[in-house]
Amino acid sequence: MRLKGLFACLTGLVMGGLLTVTASTGASAAETIKIGLIEPLSGPVAAVGTDALQNFEFSAAKINAAGGVLGGQMLEIVPLDNAMSAEKTTQQLKRAVDMGLKYVVQGIGSNHALNIIKFVNKHNKRNPGSEMLFLNHSAVTTAFTNELCSFWHFRFDANVDQKVAGLVTQMSRDSSIKKVYMLNQNYAYGKSFQAAARRIMAERTPGIELVGDELIVPFGKVQDFTPFIAKIKASGADTILTGNWGPDLVRLVKFAAGANLPAQFYTIYGGLTSSVGGYGADAAKVTMKQINEFHENHADIPADVSQFAMDYLGKYQDTWYSDRHRWVIDMLSAAMNKAGSSDAIPVGRALEGMTYQGPLGEVEMRASDHQIQTQLMVSSLTKDYSHPISYKGKDFGLAFATDGVISRADTTLPTTCDMKRP
Amino acid sequence: MEVFVFSLFNGILYGMLLFLLASGLTLIFSMMGVLNFAHASFFMLGAYFAYQVSDHMGFWPGLIIAPILVGAVGALVERYALRPVHRFGHVAELLFTFGLAFVIEEIVQMVWGKVPVSYDVPASLNVTAFAWQGLDYSAYRIFMLLISVAIFVALFFGLTRTRIGLIIRAALTHPHMVASLGHDVPKVFMWTFGVGCALAGVAGVIGGNVLGTEPGMAIQLGPIVFVVIVVGGLGSLGGALIASLLIGILNNLAISYDFSLYPIFRALGVERDVDGILADLVNLTTGGIAPLVPYLLLVLMLIFRPRGLLGTRDV
Repeated sequence: MRLKGLFACLTGLVMGGLLTVTASTGASAAETIKIGLIEPLSGPVAAVGTDALQNFEFSAAKINAAGGVLGGQMLEIVPLDNAMSAEKTTQQLKRAVDMGLKYVVQGIGSNHALNIIKFVNKHNKRNPGSEMLFLNHSAVTTAFTNELCSFWHFRFDANVDQKVAGLVTQMSRDSSIKKVYMLNQNYAYGKSFQAAARRIMAERTPGIELVGDELIVPFGKVQDFTPFIAKIKASGADTILTGNWGPDLVRLVKFAAGANLPAQFYTIYGGLTSSVGGYGADAAKVTMKQINEFHENHADIPADVSQFAMDYLGKYQDTWYSDRHRWVIDMLSAAMNKAGSSDAIPVGRALEGMTYQGPLGEVEMRASDHQIQTQLMVSSLTKDYSHPISYKGKDFGLAFATDGVISRADTTLPTTCDMKRP
Repeated sequence: MEVFVFSLFNGILYGMLLFLLASGLTLIFSMMGVLNFAHASFFMLGAYFAYQVSDHMGFWPGLIIAPILVGAVGALVERYALRPVHRFGHVAELLFTFGLAFVIEEIVQMVWGKVPVSYDVPASLNVTAFAWQGLDYSAYRIFMLLISVAIFVALFFGLTRTRIGLIIRAALTHPHMVASLGHDVPKVFMWTFGVGCALAGVAGVIGGNVLGTEPGMAIQLGPIVFVVIVVGGLGSLGGALIASLLIGILNNLAISYDFSLYPIFRALGVERDVDGILADLVNLTTGGIAPLVPYLLLVLMLIFRPRGLLGTRDV
């Protein structure tokens, strides 16, 4: 009897919940295409996840404001919090399946991305007719578009090898660089950065000497960088090439600035808000270069992209940094319109080989491995520019200034992918 | 030789910061018998308070105000939370401080956000004091060293040479006798906990702007502080000083000399061209595993001398 009562109570709750959901989405529920976003929305790295959610919601809202896709269907981003834990990523994937989502977006943490690739591969094999696509916006492990490549996975960010190729290409243009010191984090990502840099430097910068190449224990375990700074100084390096992020980058920069180390930094993540916030006044004492696909101070940005960035800044007081988040939504929408369907297989086929106007020219979702082929730009943190970096209304007094654009030819690398298509 | 002396010097600079952080923990443990897992969280609070104060009034008021605030938080925690838990024994206290660390981290994230804050070294001390081996040492690094030494001296003499120190030490071993003599033992404990937390706060104020002030800083430094007090001997101030310096110096030497571990493996018959997990081990260098050296030291110490360098009781 008690159990029955409890059951009735639970059913009531669930029905009530369903009713509220239906009521809130209104009559358009049937015409909404839902996209699951699996990111850390709680826990220590939640800032990165909530920023990504904000970016995707803004991008989807732009599409909706312009009439949606497939003749009036609206896009909706469904936040799924994985709290940066592997089990929760799997749980949220199961929830996504239960909700009937056909698209999952993720990018923070290559380990979670790998988890999703494996899950989606298995799910799609076992459930023909209800396939899902995984749209990867930032997980950069090169293997995902090489030996681990999958028809169900599309990567909209340049992978580690492409970014390293971009950094090395920019280094090759600066004849004052003679000696480079590499410092990376000792885990999968740091090691792939190291391997790519060794290989690409041998090809593109034969005149530059690699005077140091070290791996450190990652994720903030190193407190005191003085001995590393001393070794870098002793090696005579003029440039530090590093894939470090988080405290491993911030401390390296702070200790280098504190010791007035006369070396410049070539990084992937040196321009993230989480890094810029950490340098403080020390940012002015070092030369910090970073590689990404967009910054708003670049001279030749198309008007629509500039307008998008301005609208975003106006709404959230945040600098628009990851333009690729916009590409994901725009290209997905274009693929649905082209396929005339919102099902995973036709949309996946439409995405293959699709081209799109990015901020620096045409980008292409390469059909052979589902890796975006894009121009990149190397920029420096500087003090004097019209659009300083803003985050939650806080002005860091620093801005990006372009050092050089890396053409698609320079970031296009061969793939070993042997794609199995449905 | 030059490299050795240089590493020694850098090791002392880093070691003294560790000591400053560990001193409060060892004070609380030796005087109250409480192993405070949230100690590094008070360090973090010190850094954030100092950031907040220095944003409005500059660094120097922060140096005074932030530790007092942290000390007050610590005293309140002792009075209203730890004291009621105390009668359930040490395990309950341990679990309480363990939970407190998470609570403080969440609060810090709610108040100051999840990305690092720009807490900077004061401009007046951010000038080069001297250069050695091509590296500039700012006046601030020297200032950190002096503060740490001053606190060690003050604590050492305060505890061993003054009446207050006598009462505090007696309160641990003979609480009823001390109470009979008219001293308020719970209040003594509250003050001790507050001062211990304030010391962590001082470490936060002067370390937060060098190491970076972010919500993860407590978790990153927490374990190493425990290594310091266990290796030094639980409750021994002198032991904590030696252990801090030892860890700082070992860390610097391991990175500076960067010995390969390959000869050890070769002696064991393992060659460089092995596959799998052994390949990673064979190619290890001391520089790559330097942050793990303290933990190795901890394990060895617990096996061969569980009471630590200068400790009087086993762990």
